[in-house]
Amino acid sequence: MINIEIDGKPVQAEQGSTVIDAAHQAGAYIPHFCYHKKLSIAANCRMCLVEIEKAPKPMPACATPVAEGMKVKTHSEMAVKAQKGVMEFLLINHPLDCPICDQGGECQLQDIAVGYGGSASRYQEEKRVVMHKDIGALISTEEMSRCIQCTRCVRFGQEIAGVMELGMAFRGEHAEIMSFVNSTVDSELSGNMIDLCPVGALTSKPFRYTARNWELSRRKSVSPHDGLGSNLAVQVKDHKVMRVVPIENESVNECWISDKDRFSYEGLNAPERLTKPMLKQDGKWIEVEWQVALEYVANGLRQIASGAGTDRIAALATPHSTLEEMYLLQKLMRGIGNSNVDFRLRQSDFSADGKYVPWLGMPVAEINSRDRFLIVGSFLRKDHPLLAHRIRQAVKKGAQACIVHSVDDDLLMPVQSRAIVAPSELVNSLAQILKALIEDQGSRIKDRGATPALSSTPRYAPDPQLLNVLKDVEVGSAAAAIAKSLASGERAAVLLGNFAQQHPQAAQIAMLAGQIATLCAAKFGFLGEAANSVGGYLAGAVPFGAGAQGMNAAQMLESPRKAYVLLNVEPELDCANPQQAVAAMHGADMVVALSAYKHQATDYADVLLPVAPFTETSGTFISTEGRVQSFKGAVKPLDEARPAWKVLRVLGNLLKVSGFDYDTSEAVRDEALAGVDVAAKLNNSLQSVPILNPQSSILSGLQRVADVPIYFADAVVRRAASLQKTRDAATPCVVMHGSELRKLGVVAGDMVKVHQGAASARLVVKADDSLPAATVRVAAGHPVTAGLGGMFGAITVESISGERA
Amino acid sequence: MNKLINFFKSFLLLELLKGMSVTGKYFFAPHVTVQYPDEKTPQSFRFRGLHAQRRYANGEERCIGCKLCEAVCPALAIKIEVAEREDGTRRTTQYDIDLTKCIFCGFCEESCPVDAIVETRVFEYHGEKRGDLYYTKPMLLEIGDKYEEQIAKDRAADAKYR
Repeated sequence: MINIEIDGKPVQAEQGSTVIDAAHQAGAYIPHFCYHKKLSIAANCRMCLVEIEKAPKPMPACATPVAEGMKVKTHSEMAVKAQKGVMEFLLINHPLDCPICDQGGECQLQDIAVGYGGSASRYQEEKRVVMHKDIGALISTEEMSRCIQCTRCVRFGQEIAGVMELGMAFRGEHAEIMSFVNSTVDSELSGNMIDLCPVGALTSKPFRYTARNWELSRRKSVSPHDGLGSNLAVQVKDHKVMRVVPIENESVNECWISDKDRFSYEGLNAPERLTKPMLKQDGKWIEVEWQVALEYVANGLRQIASGAGTDRIAALATPHSTLEEMYLLQKLMRGIGNSNVDFRLRQSDFSADGKYVPWLGMPVAEINSRDRFLIVGSFLRKDHPLLAHRIRQAVKKGAQACIVHSVDDDLLMPVQSRAIVAPSELVNSLAQILKALIEDQGSRIKDRGATPALSSTPRYAPDPQLLNVLKDVEVGSAAAAIAKSLASGERAAVLLGNFAQQHPQAAQIAMLAGQIATLCAAKFGFLGEAANSVGGYLAGAVPFGAGAQGMNAAQMLESPRKAYVLLNVEPELDCANPQQAVAAMHGADMVVALSAYKHQATDYADVLLPVAPFTETSGTFISTEGRVQSFKGAVKPLDEARPAWKVLRVLGNLLKVSGFDYDTSEAVRDEALAGVDVAAKLNNSLQSVPILNPQSSILSGLQRVADVPIYFADAVVRRAASLQKTRDAATPCVVMHGSELRKLGVVAGDMVKVHQGAASARLVVKADDSLPAATVRVAAGHPVTAGLGGMFGAITVESISGERA
Repeated sequence: MNKLINFFKSFLLLELLKGMSVTGKYFFAPHVTVQYPDEKTPQSFRFRGLHAQRRYANGEERCIGCKLCEAVCPALAIKIEVAEREDGTRRTTQYDIDLTKCIFCGFCEESCPVDAIVETRVFEYHGEKRGDLYYTKPMLLEIGDKYEEQIAKDRAADAKYR
């Protein structure tokens, strides 16, 4: 610690910290623009000039490291004069028309000009004008003339988002922030630049001119999208969500949120919102009262239960539902006598059911301190934008990341080694890594033979059966390199992404990955797919556990039921096999859709019950790290829509299921979590899963690799107009290795027809030579591909002669 | 004795003369009563009467929808909605003043950075229903167009004090 003095007050600062850090820690405010605690130091705005004793000139506080005995004056005559001078220069080219600027009222330049600037402008000459450029659907650069060249946005791109999409071109008075020629800002974290911009140069395009910040009331909420559980401030005016900004929480989202969290609010008031309960009668939809609709549902379910049997009823929920909703749904189902309830809609391997409650395996903040990563089957950047950012930060500090996956998407960080294999080879790949690690450990123990303590107590003794199976595995060079990287670290982490969890051999993958983690003393975790992927297990919205064993999501759709209760599920987009799901829905006698939106369900549902999205209901999400976060509704439910927990509660009463007398969602939560030690329930241990021969699953022909595009992952974001205009929301293409295209006789840009079972879709084909041979990448979760079959498995591609997109 | 004096005084009509002298004094004094509506009292150029929205000489409305008047209004009488117009400028889509709420404090006028919302000298207006006093943007612009000359003169007269 170093002792310095700030404005006469003695302050202790850490070695290597800067004057501005020390001052803020001591409660002395130093005005600044370019300085940001999460970004590197640029010292180009010069606003933080302070007087330092014995220094001949004022010094920038953000770039001056503290030194023993330093005496800093932030309000001395020299400092004030310097600050005032800088302010005057900054305002020379800055338009003084705050009233029309969208940043007005929340502008650092405005605030600091009032606090530290002069009262009038002496500048009479012409101001510089910067023409705006179109940099995408999310960020408006309409007011680029307001830029003060702090370069926060540029540094954010380079350092946090991992890709430099904005830069400063030209020099001096001509310097301006722009994107590369004809390119847009496509980062999935780009919205944070809007928050970072201290002036109104970068503003939110969807929010532009819609409200003033002083009109908005700020309500706390939690992100309903990815598993991180970002803390959000939902800003509301006249019972309408106007925008969403982050709430700083160092242990979850730091001060960032992904664009999905930030801009998906547009979907909340989309025109497709379902606002009244609806019944289908004689093929026509009619609006009815809640009472009528609910009684219709209760009667229908009762009839099917007494006629065909209770096990002919099934319930599906999205993992984006709240804990309360899922708890009541499973309680309702178990109350009427079966356990056919599931939320793992995209999962296809359920063989490890009951053995684990998958979670991250460590607190989110711990990711930054890991030094080796093995990321298995994850579209990391798109599925978990902020977890990807944390891994990126760790890699920046010297960690090594290795990936095992079926696609080689750019993670915007250096990847140490990678094994890009077809989906059916994923298990084999992991087995190779495991074998390499066991061999490596064996040789290391031999090397250290001189130390008896080490040789006699091996760190890990693999199961003999496992060793037997691994005997036939041949370690490839990629696997060996990954094993080498993992073995060289001290604090490794093995993380399984959505792709690995949705894989038809997910249990094998998880078991092997778990073994790898044990072998290198790594943390082992699952990157939760959705906001409540952990909460679903704890709510009991799974077909095992309490009561009789029920059917899981796949079984419910494979052997169609007579009645389905869908909680915010869009089967054609949310399920592992949409073709099968839609067929099951069409075949059912009764489909009850609790949904916030009118969607495809109008084709097959009998009742549509309007339920509230996350901003209009109270609830709880349990994030992938097991953090229980409750939130309250930010606005009133739109029109006749009601919180889903209330709808399920009344349905429980009508079906005469006991124990449905809740008054608040908190009461539901307290009951769901009563006596549950969340941390103790979370369990990634899959040691008891028997190993299968990893070579036994080789498919012939082409295999499908399906990602869920970032802006199609859940119901709200699918309807967010601006996000749907971004590059990530483009119509999916068929992507194949160049050699596969030549085999087919097509070139990139041609239209092709992909078949899965009886279904087909016509899509544009693209080449990507990083894909493994014999794989076809076709995104799932998009209306264009919704007719196709499962996310994994065989797929055929047919060329349509001579047709180009 | 007093009784006797009062008796004679009453014959001399002294009280009457005293009263008449007041009457006489006011009869010849200059008149202060204004015969409204035939006559009007003088008004300051800062008079705060009916609101108006002004335009620039080229016909463009002045208001840029900054919402400062809405924020400053102590009676919450102003309601503004803003959107981007086709030409990319920030404009109001709704600008309402509820004159039944308004307390004519003049803060809106004072906060306006472009002198768009002003209070005119007009105070002779009425509504027959409560809703009649809910002035919308077209109504306010119309008032502005009608009294622009006077408004401009008043702003000019006040300019040196601002």
